[in-house]
Amino acid sequence: MGEERGFLKLGRQAGCYRQVCERVKDFKDVYKIRPESQSQEQASRCMDCSTPFCHWACPIGNYIPEWNDHMFGGNWKQALSLLEASNNLPEITGRVCPALCEYSCVLGLNDQPVTIRENELAIIEAGFKNGLIKPYHIGSRTGKKVAVIGSGPSGLSCGAQLNRAGHNVTVFERDNKPGGILRYGIPDFKLEKHILDRRLDIWREEGVVFKTGINIGVDYSVDKLLADFDAVCLAGGCRAPRDLKIEGRQLKGIYFAMDYLTQSNRRVAGDKIPEEELIDAKGKKVVVIGGGDSGSDCVGTAHRQGASCVVQIEVLPRPAECRDSSQPWPNYPLILKISTSHEEGGERQWEVLTKRFIGQRNHVKKISCVKVEFSPANGKACPLMREIPGSEFEISADLVILAVGFLHPEQSGMLDELKVKFDSRGNVMTDKNYMTSVKNVFSAGDMRRGQSLVVWAIAEGRRCAYFMDKYLMGQSNLPVI
Amino acid sequence: MLNFKKTNPVPIEEVEPAEKILKRFVTGAMSFGSISGSAHETIAIAMNRIGGKSNTGEGGEDPNRFITLPNGDSRRSAIKQVASGRFGVTINYLVNADEIQIKIAQGAKPGEGGQLPGHKVSGIIARTRYTTPGVTLISPPPHHDIYSIEDLAQLIFDLKNANPSARVSVKLVSEVGVGTVAAGVAKGHADMILISGGDGGTGASPRSSIRYAGLPWELGISETHQTLLLNNLRSRVRLQADGQMRTGRDVAIAALLGAEEYGFCSAILVVIGCVMLRHCHLNNCSVGVATQDDILQKRFSGRPEYIVNYFNFIVTELRAIMASLGLRSIDEMIGRTDLLELNREIIPAKASQIDYSRILYRPELPEDVGRYYKVKQDNTLDSVLDRKLIEIWGGCVKKNLPVRISLGINNTDRAVGAMLSGEVCKRCGEGVLLEDSIVCKFDGIAGQSFGAFLAKGITFELEGMANDYVGKGISGGKIVIYPNRKVDYKSDENIIAGNTSFYGAISGEAYISGVAGERFCVRNSGLYAVVEGVGDHGCEYMTGGRVIILGKTGNNFAAGMSGGIAYVYDEDATFKQRCNLDMVELEKIKESDKDTIYHLLSNHFKYTNSIKAKIILDNLHNQLKKFVRVMPVEYKRILEGAKIEQKLDIAEDLDG
Repeated sequence: MGEERGFLKLGRQAGCYRQVCERVKDFKDVYKIRPESQSQEQASRCMDCSTPFCHWACPIGNYIPEWNDHMFGGNWKQALSLLEASNNLPEITGRVCPALCEYSCVLGLNDQPVTIRENELAIIEAGFKNGLIKPYHIGSRTGKKVAVIGSGPSGLSCGAQLNRAGHNVTVFERDNKPGGILRYGIPDFKLEKHILDRRLDIWREEGVVFKTGINIGVDYSVDKLLADFDAVCLAGGCRAPRDLKIEGRQLKGIYFAMDYLTQSNRRVAGDKIPEEELIDAKGKKVVVIGGGDSGSDCVGTAHRQGASCVVQIEVLPRPAECRDSSQPWPNYPLILKISTSHEEGGERQWEVLTKRFIGQRNHVKKISCVKVEFSPANGKACPLMREIPGSEFEISADLVILAVGFLHPEQSGMLDELKVKFDSRGNVMTDKNYMTSVKNVFSAGDMRRGQSLVVWAIAEGRRCAYFMDKYLMGQSNLPVI
Repeated sequence: MLNFKKTNPVPIEEVEPAEKILKRFVTGAMSFGSISGSAHETIAIAMNRIGGKSNTGEGGEDPNRFITLPNGDSRRSAIKQVASGRFGVTINYLVNADEIQIKIAQGAKPGEGGQLPGHKVSGIIARTRYTTPGVTLISPPPHHDIYSIEDLAQLIFDLKNANPSARVSVKLVSEVGVGTVAAGVAKGHADMILISGGDGGTGASPRSSIRYAGLPWELGISETHQTLLLNNLRSRVRLQADGQMRTGRDVAIAALLGAEEYGFCSAILVVIGCVMLRHCHLNNCSVGVATQDDILQKRFSGRPEYIVNYFNFIVTELRAIMASLGLRSIDEMIGRTDLLELNREIIPAKASQIDYSRILYRPELPEDVGRYYKVKQDNTLDSVLDRKLIEIWGGCVKKNLPVRISLGINNTDRAVGAMLSGEVCKRCGEGVLLEDSIVCKFDGIAGQSFGAFLAKGITFELEGMANDYVGKGISGGKIVIYPNRKVDYKSDENIIAGNTSFYGAISGEAYISGVAGERFCVRNSGLYAVVEGVGDHGCEYMTGGRVIILGKTGNNFAAGMSGGIAYVYDEDATFKQRCNLDMVELEKIKESDKDTIYHLLSNHFKYTNSIKAKIILDNLHNQLKKFVRVMPVEYKRILEGAKIEQKLDIAEDLDG
């Protein structure tokens, strides 16, 4: 802790965002990277707690107090090496992580937390700027061949770690380019894709082989996969979306969020989309059903595509704006989040249940909703929802996006062919060593855990790599997380 | 490592009620100084609400806290600790206690003293500890008045005299052999023994001590309980255990191993907001628990209700365990190691060869050997000389006569003055009596602890000699000692008082016409004394007051001295070799000292007719040149800072 009383001298100063009127015109990053000196100043607020709750809350166990201190002292190299020791994708988490660490920051107990996420971003970007990020030199190869299915954050972390352990890693991806939801889910205005490409190039130089456009189970048989490789990691994500099977669902103009966002990202990247497949919000009244992060990404995307108005509805009640006694520190609180997309416009409504889609000429024209209320739990597992009689109303909608979450991984195809066992939620079941019910086949990330955060995916990938390395070699020098 | 055996349970309604059990809980000794005032008071209020006890720790206590609050709450700590630093141990402090605890050692740093860094000694802390703000406070590792078990028995006796209604406890540390020490302590008439485990916390200890020193309380309690049982001493004392206790299960095991009271410390701090920042020593606690910083103290958000709630949870769990073991009361549980067994599953392979049976050993003893506290200790307070003094004082007050007592004294009369001072404090309040309100003249050879805790307004005059511990903890009184008028030896060459005189003196005056033994005025915080020679280690760890030595000192004078001033009459210019110069500087007498020296020497002559004093006073101007001023470096810096502030104040007034 360079400055003992830094937290008393300086208040929290988060970085800035571009002006709303300017940023909705393009898909570039809404965040303005702050000067290194400001990050250093903010790092001085870190109290270097002997019981670092930030480190405890972080799924990958980042060494937060230590790299804060290094950065404050100008030791960028040491800060970077500590950061890379626990995180394969700090430039991603530094941009899109909800920062579980900041919600557990001890300073956040009775003051404002340290700007940990932005500090992390400052360290990694300084690293890139000063040419400190170089491909890792792999000492000797083990001769073992490992396949990673899926190139999202968990697959990428798993592959990168196993490659460093000396195995020959091949990452299979059914999309055209690697990245998973990082590339085809998170909009550019939150994560520009060259950030991802920059990192992928380094891994390619380290020896990771990427095979894109290959769908395991379709283009590459499962039997061949098991024969060609000594171990396989299933990191295909949790992509089966929850559907709203209500009257009018078959009408045109109703899409899943993932389809909408993926296509938008493709268009931003320059891909041409055929007319009949185009999902465009230009001039339309857009309704986004689902009040989570995917929903907010859809809101931002719709704004940029020129929607005439955007309404986001959510069935649960509006969360509180700050912690109350039911959400004590240091746990991650479920409180109201106002994302950059919400600042750009649009309306949000809570406790609204969609009853049916109403169409005209086989295209959706409006949705019919009802207000609901939740009664207290009364000893049951969760509160009961009740429709408020007489509260029906309608919202005009030319384009409806369903952003109501993901149920479990797509079970048909690869998983079906492999005959892995599923758990009660439909996710791939593994033992405590991350191995599925099929020998040599492991699983990590959302495919194993259900939909979750990028940082959890990285933790999963790293852990799975450790267990796979241990399985292949008898013991492992990789870190457990 | 220990599990409960399966037995026949009883219904939980039959287990003794929570209110009775709560009285057995205490909080550990966390001093005001190590933790903030609000934290300390919150703990006191909570423990007083449930009928348990909180502990002052080593830092003394603000007398304001002895007054009950309008809503019935009390901020007064029930246990007053007497530690090696003797900070704030005045007669008023002792009289306002339900229990006085002698801290022999601390579990988390056995064998070491503590240190409160200067920057944590704020104005309030300094006042409460009777020292100077900004000056580092060092607690010596041992009590300088306890070098043997007899000395400890003497201290227990002194404290019992000061406050006969309080119980006296001794805090020991869990280590091999603690049973033997405890047996000695029990024979020395302590009412309670605390065995402190090594896993406890501390804000003032080197890391190596925190991690590697000390043993768990389970071993200590086990050994102590068994040793006391085998010597039939167990029923005369209470046993208390502490050291990272957190759950009802910990309490149950402590009881089954032999403890009847249970101390919680770190857990309580966590309850009122500690997040284990471990910045205690930096005075930087961001949750306001362990800091004296004004800004950070405002962030304290703990409340007594939280602590009460926590103990309710503990008791609930404890009662459930008691019911499952078929026990209806804590008394039934004490020492019932037959209900415990070793959990072999968690013992690692390397430790499987160890024989653990001694921990759970239960000696076969006849029925009448008590398993827990039953019998009050004999304390022989009935026949102390003070009873006579108190009687005469009462008589004089009734008849509205000045209190002038004249008695013979013997070396079997120990702690003379302690009980009288306690009574004066209780009846009149602290520091209310005027100087010389009660004057006692004694003839003969005084026993140990003559004038212990002497309160303001009482003057003791002794013609003869005294033994050790004269004026221990003197709290404003006046002590005068001179040789028998018939003798003809030189007063500045012959010993008149024993060792460790004025240990932990708070304030008052002393005029000793003779040579005192070793460790004179150790931990003096404010006494003004004149003596005509001392042995080794004079004025060690002194933090306040003024001492004049009119003769030779021994070696290692002023070791650890961080406050107060000593004036040594250095006739043969050899003093420098015998002085410990680590923390002090030797200087010539300054103008500001002359008044003090003149007044003290005049008093010395007035009270004792000292020939040495007369010689010096008759030629003061020249004699002053032979004096050496022993000035602690830190103290000088603080005094000069205060003088500058005073000058600035005057300047501001002049500017108008």
